[in-house]
Amino acid sequence: MFGLFEHIRTRLLRRRRRERVSLAALFRQFQQVLELNNRILTAIASMHDKLGGDYIFDVQYLRTSKQFIVDTVRELIDAFDAMAPGRYPGLYAIFRDIRHKLESEMERRPVLPDVMAMAFADIRLKDMDAAGAKSTRLALIAEASAGAVPPGFAVTTSAYRLFMELNDIEDEIVRLERAWRDGAMTVQEASGKIRSRILAGSIPPRVRRAMARELETLRRGAGEGTLRLAVRSSAWGEDGDLSFAGQYESFLNVRPEDLHDAYRKVLASTYCPAAMEYRREYDFKPDEVFMAVSVQAMVEARTSGVVYSLSPVRLGESGIEIAAAWGLGAPVVSGEAPADRFLVSREPGHGLLMETVAHKATALRPGPEGSVVTEEVEASLCDQPSLSPGQIRLLADTAIRLEQYFKKPQDMEFAFSPEGALIVLQSRPLRMEVCDDPHSPDLSDVLKGYPVLLSGEGDVAQQGVASGPVFVAWEGRDLEEFPVGAILVAHLSSPQYAAVLPKASGVITDIGSPLGHMATIAREYRVPALLNVSRATLVLKEGDVVTLDAEQKTVYQGLVRELRMHDYLCDHMEETYEYRLLRRMLKLIEPLYLVDPEENNFTPQGCRTMHDIARFIHEKAVEILTEIPTSSGASEACPGGRLELPVPLDLVVLDIGGGLDESCAGDGGRPGHRRTIRTDQVRSETLRAFIAGVTSEGVWQSQPVPVDFSSFMSSMTRTFSADSAGVNRMGQNLAVVSDRYLHLSLKLGYHFTLIDCYKSEDDSRNSVQFRFAGGVTGAVRRSRRARFLAEVLNGFDFSVTVKDDLVVARAKGWMARDLGRLMRILGLLVAYTRQLDVSMVSDSVIYEHCQEFEHIAEEAVGN
Amino acid sequence: MTATSKTSILILDDEPIVSKRLQPALEKKGYEVESFYESARAMARIRERTFDIVVTDLKMEGIDGMQFLAEVKKLSPRTEVIVITGFATMDTAKESMRKGVFDFLAKPFKLGEIQEVIRKAEEHIRLGE
Repeated sequence: MFGLFEHIRTRLLRRRRRERVSLAALFRQFQQVLELNNRILTAIASMHDKLGGDYIFDVQYLRTSKQFIVDTVRELIDAFDAMAPGRYPGLYAIFRDIRHKLESEMERRPVLPDVMAMAFADIRLKDMDAAGAKSTRLALIAEASAGAVPPGFAVTTSAYRLFMELNDIEDEIVRLERAWRDGAMTVQEASGKIRSRILAGSIPPRVRRAMARELETLRRGAGEGTLRLAVRSSAWGEDGDLSFAGQYESFLNVRPEDLHDAYRKVLASTYCPAAMEYRREYDFKPDEVFMAVSVQAMVEARTSGVVYSLSPVRLGESGIEIAAAWGLGAPVVSGEAPADRFLVSREPGHGLLMETVAHKATALRPGPEGSVVTEEVEASLCDQPSLSPGQIRLLADTAIRLEQYFKKPQDMEFAFSPEGALIVLQSRPLRMEVCDDPHSPDLSDVLKGYPVLLSGEGDVAQQGVASGPVFVAWEGRDLEEFPVGAILVAHLSSPQYAAVLPKASGVITDIGSPLGHMATIAREYRVPALLNVSRATLVLKEGDVVTLDAEQKTVYQGLVRELRMHDYLCDHMEETYEYRLLRRMLKLIEPLYLVDPEENNFTPQGCRTMHDIARFIHEKAVEILTEIPTSSGASEACPGGRLELPVPLDLVVLDIGGGLDESCAGDGGRPGHRRTIRTDQVRSETLRAFIAGVTSEGVWQSQPVPVDFSSFMSSMTRTFSADSAGVNRMGQNLAVVSDRYLHLSLKLGYHFTLIDCYKSEDDSRNSVQFRFAGGVTGAVRRSRRARFLAEVLNGFDFSVTVKDDLVVARAKGWMARDLGRLMRILGLLVAYTRQLDVSMVSDSVIYEHCQEFEHIAEEAVGN
Repeated sequence: MTATSKTSILILDDEPIVSKRLQPALEKKGYEVESFYESARAMARIRERTFDIVVTDLKMEGIDGMQFLAEVKKLSPRTEVIVITGFATMDTAKESMRKGVFDFLAKPFKLGEIQEVIRKAEEHIRLGE
């Protein structure tokens, strides 16, 4: 028995000794983790920057960037593994998985999500790869309230892939395409063989089940009426159905029981001769073809037709062109039957410029048993216009709205129901051929005729051309009154403008960074944005109509029509393969899914992007460090000790390099006894700033705040583990500091604050992250405090997310250039909010506290 | 004739995206631009006519950009050549400076940067006249 004790004791002792030796190494590794983490974030930001439109980049660049990020993340995992050997083996597996997906993207094998069917209502822009272009655009139109669309669902590109795999068709396609390309077979022969294989294929059970589920929802929505379907192609890729316009088949008035057949027929049309020829011409690979299928509830149409928001035949006149006929739209779309034609002005009011009413003897209508039949039109209607003046105006209005929303002239198919409701059946970018008109003057000469208000300055956050009246967002102005189509002009690019961006046609700011939060949102909505122009608010006057050419960093006075037209005719960068590839790569690199360390997904397996891996490692590396204050060897291994402060904030500082004065190093005292550090021994500027804030006179509440009964009760019933941010390891308030880095873990008044702060060499890549959670009171008061924090932090240009009582605020780049100021404010905030939830008795208190804090902050740091 | 008074630019890069983005932006500025993805075709073109400015990549698949720019300078010594190339090939680019290259830019570059270099090259040509 004694022997066993002795054995354990020696083992433990030996281990302790080893720990002591390895602590110095641990700090070195931690610094390496920080350094690599920062390098990764910088590389991600730099890739993201390329989305803005200022840069010209090629595939070579994408390849090099991918490799750099992959290598650096791998290095980071290794460095972290050295800190905690073998603790998270799952990291390597998840890393390999993400790397593999990135490589697939580079080799043009897109990563498709594992879902077989999606209701239109659930489709967002990010689902374009799964739902295809047509369905996604319809879903976006509905979401933006730009027009009514029929209910429906998309059978995804993944379903297509599964279908092809299960029926073993892929190899056959490769074989037949090769035979055709080698000249051993005509395109008709190859196409016929492939199509018959697809038509004979069986639909995988998973796809059947998903279709049945979505059909049931459609059926419920249809109510009493009989459900009939329109089944159309919705090819993969943003320009999928643009390039292949008219080559794929659509089926109308399909009975639900015939959906499987129609689905197979649409899939088969992927291999019609015209589409195969097209793909050969543009060098598509056989495994680069993915067909999603759009299934819509059939709209009973009194009139149907097509609108071009910008007449391609009459570019100079720039009108909206409408073709319409009685009944279903297919004959109008294909041009097989005579249709009424209207040309209307693009200007508001949409005056009729030209009208040709055709003799429409027949109309296509739904027939029995899912067929469509050509019927004779009632004699009195044959020569009547199929659209009323009101309907023409409504169509013109809708087409312009869609054009503004999608930032390109639109080719829209529509139907009017017997009740007169307008339904948008599809909308896609209008195909326009640029023809060199020798008589039209040169754009560069035309532009010389317009007064230039601003030129050559600024950073492009999103390129493009925008025109509209100037809206100057001066201090305190109500953004609710922002008019649709105006150009936002502001001094600072701040997240508070996020809400108006979907309404804005363009953005110009005096100060701001293309890496900021607002720039990201501008890109999301493709709103041309020029930031950092320095004099925008001085030069541009409220209400004046101006035209912004972000690409050339120029603002013209007035509406420059020629420039808009040129922009419409140009290929937009967003439509290039390289840009789409960058976007898809960033999906695997940039988004942060691991936000809250207390969430169940905060594991290696929960990491979905390279950023997640970096975030996970950073969090866990800090966690390892925060365990150290209780470990015996800490003070010998690195300089540090308890900070002497005028407020009762029991803060232990660990210096991992250059954060404290050299006098703090060396053996500061007896083992187990922590030395004391004076504030003047702190060298880290950010920690000094924080201390200045947290010890500001009068802010730290020294009097205990009276806790009322309900607060007391909820504090009794809440367990600490239900609080967030890892209370178990947070017994000690801790600062880990180096010359550039500062981490603070604070537990004050029952809530937890984590601050991570990084100062870059030239202040251009600074970052601060602030997290706050927990508290003594019930959920309502805590969420009030969260709202208070969000309000205050927003005011200081942090971008803030609030989830229940967890507040996460970030500032980076330009917004964080003055780190000292931000850290002083955070110091003040930590002191101020210590027991704030207790006083959060009503919503109005939030506002009072915001005001009071603003006052305090102004006194302390100026504003 | 306005057409002849315009500064003419030839762009050669085997990745089409580069000229696809550059050409319309430069045309908007009033330049006359021709784009090529293959050096053989670009080579044939410079034998037909001279350009004021040539923008070319160095490292292209199956193409020797160095050889191309040497040929440009031989046929028309007054043509200013601007080399655009990836960071990795920067050393080669610097070496090429000795062959009378006006300037070089590392890819990816900002549109404003290349427009500025082109403007300077234009100025250089004008001063030389």
